[in-house]
Amino acid sequence: MDALDVRLRAVGCRHGRVDAVSGVDLDVPAGGRLALTGTNGSGKTTLLRAVLGLHRHAAGEIRVGGRVARTAADWAWRRRACAWVPQKPAAGRFPLLAGELLASSGAPGQALAAAARLGVAHLADRAVDTLSGGQLQRTYLARAVGCVATGAGVLLADEPTAALDFTGQEEAADLLLSLPVTLIVVTHDRALAARCDRVAEMAAGRLREAA
Amino acid sequence: MSSVLAADLGQLLQLVPVQRAGAALLLAAVGLPVVGVVIVGLDIMPVRFAMMHVALLGIAVGLLTGLDPMLCALLACGLAGAGVAPLARGPDGLSGAMGLLMSLAIAAALLLLAVSGVNASGAFALLWGSILSVGAADLLLLGALAVTVPGLFWWRRRDLALLLYDRETALTSGVAVDRLTLILLVLVAVSVAGAIKLTGALLVDALTLLPALAARRLGTSLTSITLWAVAIGAVVNAAGFLVALSLDLPPGPVLVLTAGAVVLAVHLVPERRISSWRATASDTPSSSH
Repeated sequence: MDALDVRLRAVGCRHGRVDAVSGVDLDVPAGGRLALTGTNGSGKTTLLRAVLGLHRHAAGEIRVGGRVARTAADWAWRRRACAWVPQKPAAGRFPLLAGELLASSGAPGQALAAAARLGVAHLADRAVDTLSGGQLQRTYLARAVGCVATGAGVLLADEPTAALDFTGQEEAADLLLSLPVTLIVVTHDRALAARCDRVAEMAAGRLREAA
Repeated sequence: MSSVLAADLGQLLQLVPVQRAGAALLLAAVGLPVVGVVIVGLDIMPVRFAMMHVALLGIAVGLLTGLDPMLCALLACGLAGAGVAPLARGPDGLSGAMGLLMSLAIAAALLLLAVSGVNASGAFALLWGSILSVGAADLLLLGALAVTVPGLFWWRRRDLALLLYDRETALTSGVAVDRLTLILLVLVAVSVAGAIKLTGALLVDALTLLPALAARRLGTSLTSITLWAVAIGAVVNAAGFLVALSLDLPPGPVLVLTAGAVVLAVHLVPERRISSWRATASDTPSSSH
């Protein structure tokens, strides 16, 4: 799968009675790189989760590769098309090996090779709940590489460098920007935002172009 | 004294009901601890109580309609398992759903029993089994469970590991989460209800939940936890049954106490000691936590 365009129209998301995201219009062309910035609680994570169908109360229209998701099959396609690096990796109710997390990308070989580049391949036999925040974040980045290898055309990365040291942030940024996908990255890392094509800022659930 | 005990034990083991009970416990040790791993993984530990009440509702329906009460009980449990599956999507997960199911089922059952004029304790008695009264058909059923449950686990181990770890991680990894949750809940519901009938309500915990709770502490992955659960189940069942026979005690409580002692012992062992047993976790972390 090649890079896919992402198009949002009048997207709104609610957390109970609170409007977390409202009236968001966004176009990211195939292969584009967008940095999404904004204060904590401005709706960035909720917006990415809505693209993946993980936020249940979302309105408006979201198209990835020109396709909206309505049925279970549509959502399955959407989640294959969009690789995801979560902001807060799940604590997990049950143990999962880092190797199993890498393999969940569908391309264990490529994910493991990316894990080696990021210095976490030797942790494949460790349970993810025993990894540090930085190790886990690198593992999720490597998993995203595996997802791209299996055909994801979009990468939704939610603060993918937040838990990393300075060298790690640079390595992660190099990796993210080297992938042949459309990249939407939520970040507070100015260096990473500066390397993207565009920066958009969210404030109180609304989006505005920052540069 | 010990030779007298050994002689008594030898004689007891010649009895067909005792042999059947031993075989049933060994077969149960293969299938039911795996069901217990799902129960722990999905955080539905009140499932046994929920299924007892749902089964009672099924029996009430059977008595009211003239259909086979146990068949109605198993059907009710299967439907209840499937019915609560959508609640897994909610923020409260399935733990609260089991409590709700338990309350609703017992209320509906008591109402139906009152309407049908059947004594509630009489209906409950239909549900109670004993390990010493299992028949050939029961053994076949436990054998089928011993093959299908671990088989399903092995076949879908990747999807199961992701689902039991985190629902959203599983969703974004292409796992058919809703369908798999439904299958697991029906499997758990029917297995637990069936096991109550075969072995008695008390013994179900020793056969399902307790080995899984001990294994949860010892294993680092779904596969290792499952293998630990089956191994602990087999050892506990064999040891508890032999102790019960030797001391002429009822097997159910002895097996539960044996399994409970193993769970406590495993939780009292320091974490550092357990970590050294886990061969897979031998690598030390390379960066700071």
